Amino acid sequence: MVMLEQIIHVIYVLFAAVIGWFLLRNLFKRERRPGIVYDIVYAYCVIPFLLRVLGIK
Amino acid sequence: MKNDKNAMGGGAAMSGRARLWLKGGFLAAALTLAFFAGREFWELRHFKETVVSAPGLTEVKMLSEYLGNLKGTWMDTPIFVYDSGVPGGSALYMANVHPYEPATSLSAYIMMENIKVSKGKIFVIPQGNRSGSTTGMLGNAYPKFFHVKTEFGEKRFRIGDRGTNPLDQWPDPFTYVNYPSKQNLAYQDIRNMNRTYPGRKDGTLTERASFAIMELIRREKIDISIDAHEASLMYPVVSTYVAHERSFELAMMAAMTLSAETFDMKCESSPKGLRGLSHREWGDYSDTLAVLMETPEPFIDRVVGPMTEELFTEGKDEFLATAAKHGLTYHPYNLEFGSPLWYRCGRHLSGAASAITWMNQFFPEKEIIAEWPGYKDLEAHDCGYFLHDPAKAEGKLVFKI
Repeated sequence: MVMLEQIIHVIYVLFAAVIGWFLLRNLFKRERRPGIVYDIVYAYCVIPFLLRVLGIK
Repeated sequence: MKNDKNAMGGGAAMSGRARLWLKGGFLAAALTLAFFAGREFWELRHFKETVVSAPGLTEVKMLSEYLGNLKGTWMDTPIFVYDSGVPGGSALYMANVHPYEPATSLSAYIMMENIKVSKGKIFVIPQGNRSGSTTGMLGNAYPKFFHVKTEFGEKRFRIGDRGTNPLDQWPDPFTYVNYPSKQNLAYQDIRNMNRTYPGRKDGTLTERASFAIMELIRREKIDISIDAHEASLMYPVVSTYVAHERSFELAMMAAMTLSAETFDMKCESSPKGLRGLSHREWGDYSDTLAVLMETPEPFIDRVVGPMTEELFTEGKDEFLATAAKHGLTYHPYNLEFGSPLWYRCGRHLSGAASAITWMNQFFPEKEIIAEWPGYKDLEAHDCGYFLHDPAKAEGKLVFKI
């Protein structure tokens, strides 16, 4: 159970990393919604995932 | 018109290179924000509070000594033991199980810095949920720290979350099922240490910490266990002892004595159907006399205005005062007095002393004789007066938690 919990925890951190990566990729390379406003949104949304992956928040 | 549309909608007029620079600029701005925000979170996560123990300290244990798999986790927390060497009873004073109620940990520090035990043994855990004290509550936008004025300057203390830090235990389930009762509780209560008793040794981090507390109580044969909390004033259990049925009489007598002599204190019996709480499970899964105490903390009331440090230390809020005028609070409240820090710490320190005094009356074989500053001392001098300068203290008595 302890190990299972740790595995789940690691999986969720990896999820955070993957989502952070997709946000970053979509910031620079996306086909739909090319507006500047979406650039700002994608850049801003990286923050929580970055902090989570770094173990800060 | 066409240019305006481009500027807002896609920047087709902008060259590819310029657009790339713009995106990079947005990312740099976001990373700058992340840096400043991250620095704030990092500071709370890694800040350590300093305590200067009284000379009567005989031993410092770690919670992981009662459950090995807590070692190296953020739930491992020090346990300070004050043993008089004279046979008698034993008591546990546990604070900051909910770290957004940190008058409890301050009361534990005041106890530790001034305690004198002449019979029996006292265990003090100032940071019951150490992990939870390293993060703030999501969405509540309150300060990371509060400060206490002392003769040697201001001392800083953390204001934490209600539950374990999600960095240490995450994700939460859709429904939390308490073990072993199988009672369904709110999902976030899986990180609430006062819903996870009696815990399990191979459970979640919070369940393991709860199990280790149970092991401490069982192995050390602790006679009376006191769990210090703070409550919102619109919560009926504010200013109350909540006692297991075996400790109900002593808690009732303590409440009556306090109400007659110093401050209003209520007493309630622990509901048998509400599982996972200390006043229920400590009593059911060990022989200890379990008592939980609540003080009035306006800071965590739902109706208050800005959650500032002043609100935390002085407890004055006009919205809450309006609610009190309409009879919506369960504790007398006015703006002139508020609910200051000394008042809440004093209530806990005298509340713990009174419970032990009445245990001595009901169970003379478990007698504990100990003293520490109480309500009237704090009323006269405030909290900082009872804290000692770490720079002038003996090194072996200074601890960072």
